[in-house]
Parts: sequence; structure tokens; C-alpha cells
Amino acid sequence: MPRVDRRAEVSWNGNLARGEGRISAPSGAFAGLPYSAATRVAARAETTSPEELLAAAHAGCFAMSLAGELREQDARIAVTANVVLDELEGQGHRIVESQLTVRAQAPGLAQAAFDEAVRAADEGCPFSRLIAAGAKVTIDARLES
Amino acid sequence: MATERKASVTWQGDLMSGRGTIESVTSGMLGPLEVDWANRAEDAQGKTSPEELIAAAHAACFAMALSNGLAQEGHAPERLETSATVTFVPGTGITKSALTVTGTVPGLDEDAFRQAAEQAKENCPVSSALKGNVELELYARLT
Repeated sequence: MPRVDRRAEVSWNGNLARGEGRISAPSGAFAGLPYSAATRVAARAETTSPEELLAAAHAGCFAMSLAGELREQDARIAVTANVVLDELEGQGHRIVESQLTVRAQAPGLAQAAFDEAVRAADEGCPFSRLIAAGAKVTIDARLES
Repeated sequence: MATERKASVTWQGDLMSGRGTIESVTSGMLGPLEVDWANRAEDAQGKTSPEELIAAAHAACFAMALSNGLAQEGHAPERLETSATVTFVPGTGITKSALTVTGTVPGLDEDAFRQAAEQAKENCPVSSALKGNVELELYARLT
């Protein structure tokens, strides 16, 4: 089986409280994204953060996995992932949950077949498997006409 | 207090010939970014992938955790350069995240730096979320 490596780079200046980092991807898809401790835990997101990048990874991974299960040329899938970081007593900050919301249009697909495809997509999504080690994955999926 | 970060993706068509877009994220700093299977599983030709985003999240989380650990030991870093390389084996899954760090930390020796980096590798929130199901590697050195 071929293995695929994907790398990303970060430079960080200073301590945690007042420092700032920059995140870049060699693919060129994004570069120099700033982030900091304050913006990572702020109620209002002014910069990206590890959790936001994981949300993008999970939504992207699940959408591909479901497309693989549906095997339809004209399926339309929309996935939102919401990643939750919480401060747990004695453990500090922990990623506790990734909540997926899935809306799909697949002409002619029966509800039961869709439900089965969602289940199989979760099982087959490499990110779902990975994060299940330390966090809960919830899925709210609906087949739309 | 819990912090939530969201990202939305749309996908059209089947896995092999279809394509997707990371439409938006909470901060507005990413997207729209295109994704597809060929860029994920073969050569990355300018498009990101779930594994690249995990690598970005992990390298970013690790840098923060290490800066905090060093500062708590009284050696706040001047600068940390980190990277994460995430390995995806289609059909098997995501098998490894390899972290590297090069640090500029006045007054600290290699051993103490490596120890702090090891701690950050074990305990940063992204490592904690992933580590039961993936091999984590670390290469740490001072400039």
C-alpha cells in the first residue's frame, strides 16, 4: 500500500501567554496563518487554532468517506465539524468532542441505505478513527430531497 | 469554559472523481480550499488534505505546549520551529504523526530541552486526542 506523508510547519516566538505562532502548509494551500494562546481559547475566534484545523480535517475526511460509501456521481454532501476544547479538572485543556452535521442529497437513495452509508463512513473515516482515541464523535445526519 | 471551532465542507460526486471545498471556518482565516482524492492520496498538487490539516493542527498545538512547558521551568523560548508529518496509508488509515522541533532557548541544555519536548508531545491536547490510535514520533534539538 502506498503511504502518503503530509507535513506542516509552525514557527513560534516567545512564551505561551504573550507569544505568537505562524502555520504554513507546503502544499501552498495556506501559509503564515497567525495564532496565539489567547485567540485559541477566546469565545470569538479571531485567528485559526489547532481545533479549527482539526474541524476542517474532520469535515473534509468525513465528506470524502461518505462520498466513497454513496458511490454516486451526483451526490451532494455538506459536512460541518464542530471541535470542542474544554478544560478538565486535573488534566488541563483537552479536545473532548467533534460534532458532525451532515446534509446530503442523493437522488433515488433510500433512507435505510443512507443511514448505513453514514455508519460505514464514520467507521471508514481515518480521522474519526484517530480522534476516537481521546474524544467523542457525534453525527447528526439527514438525507434531503 | 469550553471553546468551539467549526469548519464546513461541501462535496459533489463520488470519491474518486468528485471534489470538495472547505468552504469556511469559524475564524474566517481558511477557505475556500479545494480538496479531492488525488491530492490526498497521490501527489499534493497545490491542494490541502485532511492529513495536512491534522499536521498543521498538531505542529501548532505542540509548539504552544512546549513554549508553556519551557516557560514554567524558567526557560521561555525565544523561538521554536516545529513541524508535523502525518502518514496516511489508504485502506489502513492514519498511522503516524512525526513531530520535529528546533528551539532557541537561552540557558537550556539539550537534555532538558528534549525532556520538555517529550512532555509536550505526550500532553498537548491534539496529541491527547489522537495518541491511542497513532504512532507519535519526536525529533528535538536546540539551535
